[in-house]
Formats: sequence, C-alpha cells, structure tokens
Amino acid sequence: MSAGAKKRIMKEYTECMNDPPTGMKINFNEQNMTKWEVLVDGPEQSIYAGGHFKLEINFPNEYPFKPPVVSFKTKIYHPNVSNDDKGSMCLGLLRADEWKPPNKVVAVLRLIQTLLIEPNQDDAIEPSIANEYKENRKEFEKNAKDWVKRYAK
Amino acid sequence: MAGLDTEDERKEELETLQSIYPELDLDPAIPFAARIELLVAPSTPLPVTFAPEQDVQRLAYLPSLRLDIVLPAEYPAEAPPSVDISTTPSWLPATAIDSLRGEAKALWEEYGGGQMLFAYVSYLQEAADTAYGLAELTLPSSLKLGLLAYSARMKRELFDKETFDCEVCIEPKKGSACYRMQRCNHVFCIACLQDYYTNCIKEGDVDNVKCMSTECGGPKKKVRLISPKELLQIPLPRETVERYAKIKRKKKMEADPAIVYCPRSWCQGAMRTAKYPKITDVSQMDDSDSEADEPVEASQPQPSTGPEKRRIGVAGMDRLAVCEDCKLAFCQICLASWHGDFVRCEPRDSSQLTEDDQASLNYIMRNCSPCPTCAVPCQKSYGCNHMTCFQCKTHFCYLCAAWLSPDHPYGHFNDPKNKGCFQRLMDLAEGDMAQGDVQFGGRRGAEQIADFWEAEAMRIQMELNERDS
Repeated sequence: MSAGAKKRIMKEYTECMNDPPTGMKINFNEQNMTKWEVLVDGPEQSIYAGGHFKLEINFPNEYPFKPPVVSFKTKIYHPNVSNDDKGSMCLGLLRADEWKPPNKVVAVLRLIQTLLIEPNQDDAIEPSIANEYKENRKEFEKNAKDWVKRYAK
Repeated sequence: MAGLDTEDERKEELETLQSIYPELDLDPAIPFAARIELLVAPSTPLPVTFAPEQDVQRLAYLPSLRLDIVLPAEYPAEAPPSVDISTTPSWLPATAIDSLRGEAKALWEEYGGGQMLFAYVSYLQEAADTAYGLAELTLPSSLKLGLLAYSARMKRELFDKETFDCEVCIEPKKGSACYRMQRCNHVFCIACLQDYYTNCIKEGDVDNVKCMSTECGGPKKKVRLISPKELLQIPLPRETVERYAKIKRKKKMEADPAIVYCPRSWCQGAMRTAKYPKITDVSQMDDSDSEADEPVEASQPQPSTGPEKRRIGVAGMDRLAVCEDCKLAFCQICLASWHGDFVRCEPRDSSQLTEDDQASLNYIMRNCSPCPTCAVPCQKSYGCNHMTCFQCKTHFCYLCAAWLSPDHPYGHFNDPKNKGCFQRLMDLAEGDMAQGDVQFGGRRGAEQIADFWEAEAMRIQMELNERDS
C-alpha cells in the first residue's frame, strides 16, 4: 500500500475520533490500519434495535481509488447482506463503478445504518430474503428479530 | 526633506493609505505624489471584440489600472487631488478614463474638502468589478495576443496562490500543486490526479478516467471521459496517455460490427476507416470524446434493391477493405485478398483459408526459411547463407534456419559438427530459385524430406500397380 493511501486512512481515522459517528464504535489497530473493526448498534427505529453487529472494513491497496470492502462478522438477516460466513455487501457506494475517491468510510458506515433501517429491496444480494421482506413483512421481521437474539446480543 | 512640514496633512494621508495598500508607491523625487496599480477582474468576464476579425473573447482579467495621484499644496481643503488614470497597453476608452477621473473631483466635493483618497481608491476597486460600467469593448486585434496572455497569466498566478483542500488525500494544497478540471472546474491535487488516472489506465479501466468528484456523474448520469489532451496538461506521461487513447479506440472498434479485421493471421489489424482515425498525436485529441459513447449503429451493406442483378459488381465497391497496419487490400465479405469488383464471393470465416491463400502459404512454407526469432519468412535472392532478419535483425543460417551468434556468425559453417551446413556458406550464392536441388535443414529440410518420401511412396505404388497389371 502506498504512503498516500496509509496517510489518508490515518486522516479518516483521526476525523472519526474527533467527530465520532453515532451508534458505532471503531476499533483501530495501528499495526494493521487497513483492517478496521466496527461495532454497529442496531438503530433504535429498526427491527435490529438492541443488536450489536461486528463489521470488518478492509481497505484495498489502491484505496481511495477503489472502494473499501465491508463484511458483517455478526450474522444478520438482511436482504443486502450475504447469508453465509462472509456476510458480504456490494451495493451503492461499495461498487467499484460507483465509488468515487472523495467518498469516505464514514459515508459507507452511514449507508449501512440507513440500510439497517430500510433495506434496499431492488439491489438485494439475498433474493429470497428480499422477497420475504416485500411479500411477507411479518415473517421477515420475526426472522430478523430472531437472528438478532441468537447472534447479535 | 527638511523643508517639508512634518505635520502636513497630505503626508499623513498618504502614509495611512500606504499602510492600507502596501503596494502604493510613493515617489521620493516628487513630494506628495503616489502611484498604485489596481487589479481589473470583472465579476463576469468582459466580452472583447477584436477588430477587424470580429473575434470575441471573454477576458477574466485585464491589464491593471494605474492611478497617479499628485496632491497640490491646497489639498485637501481648497483643491481636489490631481489624478491621472492609464492602462498599458491602453485598452480603457478615453471616455471611461474621463469619467473615472471626474469621480475624484465629485468625491472631493462630497467630502467637503476632507481626505478622500481611500474612498477614491475603494471606488475604483469596486468599479473594476463591473468593468467600469463597460458592457463590452472593441479593440484592435494587435492587442489580442497580449491581452489573452495577460488574462491567462493572472488566472494562473492567482490560482497558484490560492489554497485548496484536495478531497482525495484530504490535505490542503497550494494552487501551484493543483489542477482545475476543464469541464466542471473541480480542483484536485496533481499527485492524486496522476495516481488515479495512471492506475485506471494501467488496469485498462478507461471508463473511469473521468472527474473524481462525487458531484460529477453518479449511477444515472453519464459523465464524459477526460480528453487525452487534458490528461497531458495535468500532466500524465505521454506513453500513458497514448495507451489510454489506444484502448479507447480499440474498445469502440470492437463494439462496432462493421469493422472487419485483416485476414493475415500474423497481422490482424483493423480495416482502415474514417470513423476511427488512427491515433497520430494525442496532444491534439481534445474531443473529450464519448464521440462514440452513443451506441454505434451497425452500418450494414445496403441490400441491393430491384431485379437489376448486374449492379452487384458496382455495389460491391464497398467490399474493398485495406488493413491499416499491413496495408493488405482484401474483400470484407470473403476475406481473400482483393479480387476486384466483378467477382462474386461468399462470406467466409476468417479462420478458413481460400485455396489461393493455402497455395500461397504452402509455397512460402516450402521455399522460404523462417527467422528463428520472429518467424518472418525470407527467400534469399543472392549472397551467402549468413542472413540478417530485416525485421528483427536476428542472425541466422539460411540452410537450416538456426540462430547464429552475431559476434561470429561464420563459425556455424566452419564446424564439421554442423553436417548439413559445413562449408556450405556460399551455396545458392546466386539466389534461391526454389528448384529443390539444394538440401535444407530445419523446418524447410523436414518439408523437403517429407516431399521426397511422399514422392518415393507414390513411385513405389506406381511400380507395384504396373507390376500387377
């Protein structure tokens, strides 16, 4: 990773420390600054309220020219998060063709918070969950809350 | 200076003015005289028509206004200051100058004989904002180059002095280390621009060579790609920009079904076409292109209308294609070398060879020796068997196509171990007439032996047939 990329990640971290984004905690390891661990609280107004989700943010070598890679380490029942051991996400800003170098990690974290409140059904990585969200909201909410209890407490 | 009254109001006023405008120049030779140059940067660029060409240019900066002040002994109580206004070159019309000068007296009267220099200078500065009330200007074209250069230089100088926050490295940078995008005016630092575009072009990701700002584009909007000319201005290395232009052109051509490629398997260049001119000078390519971001409409050959079958030969004119790389003239339909307008032909897969092409290939295989490095076929017209490839300069033996050391190429012919070529340096010195009377080595030799045994097998078979009958 170039010196410029490291400097930029460091700057973004400092910004996060000076103005901490609400509802999350960032764990930063100076030895390996290209991998952030973020603990995101399920937003109050969402079905994920009360849950705490561990996220991993990996910065590619070409950062900020390429987007960071986000994955949920805590299992979550959500149309936009892959339902496997990877918990990967790939939409909006996180896509290489939509990412712009001035975008920051904070914007990515905010996007995730918005998605927890309102999933994006049109850009789902898990079609069956998206379908349930659309057709049978009750069942979806029950499953999602169930998973929060099981994995995210 | 002993004769001057230190309590003089004029001296005091000029000193105060100088502390406000440090660029105010006090002339030590003439007492109570001062000069100041005032920047002329109208808030909307001034349209200037250069006659006689009637060429209109919008100038963001005009050469500064020079104000010369002389304060008479009666100033300020009894007399107004004497002011002179000029520009070099003289672009400000005399009427405008007169009205600006007149304002000095008007202000002095308004101030009732009080100190009014600061008010006057402020007035001139404000008036510059609206180009002294000028809506447009007509000047002789002899001033054009100078004024344009001045405006461009001021723009650059003021930009260089500014400080920008580069959104990519998130650092404040001096304008001199930054670049303003031509189309959208976004500013980034040159280092980040170079890194980003070089990275995109290296990966062949030319579609991302656009402004980095989040305000430009987005998932719905189509953003124009940066022109090669602008990339050179940032600046990016020429090779990188050339690669960019090449990839862009190649992508467009590959997406165009009307483009046919050269049938020579070692060439495969595209056909010449005016639609995608060959890249000659990237520094002239300021088409910020997307000229063909619009889907290319397939230009199908016109279906021949009517029963007049004879017209086919004429309509067939557009079957002719010429390879832009090797200049081969070929038919777009049958991919054979050009057969003229009056031949009917069938569409052909480029991997198939026509009988003619196959025959020609067979001839080449049998009668030429290939260069061991680049495989270009060669046939000797005269001289010894030590060859130098005209294409890649490799030294090789014409008889067995073996690579020869450039330092002592003749050793090959003097070594008895090389049975086929030992002491045969001058064989075929009159040229290779392809008569089959000289024994070759390498691929060509193998062809020769294969031919010999084929003929031998045929002969034996014939003999057997004869005996049987």
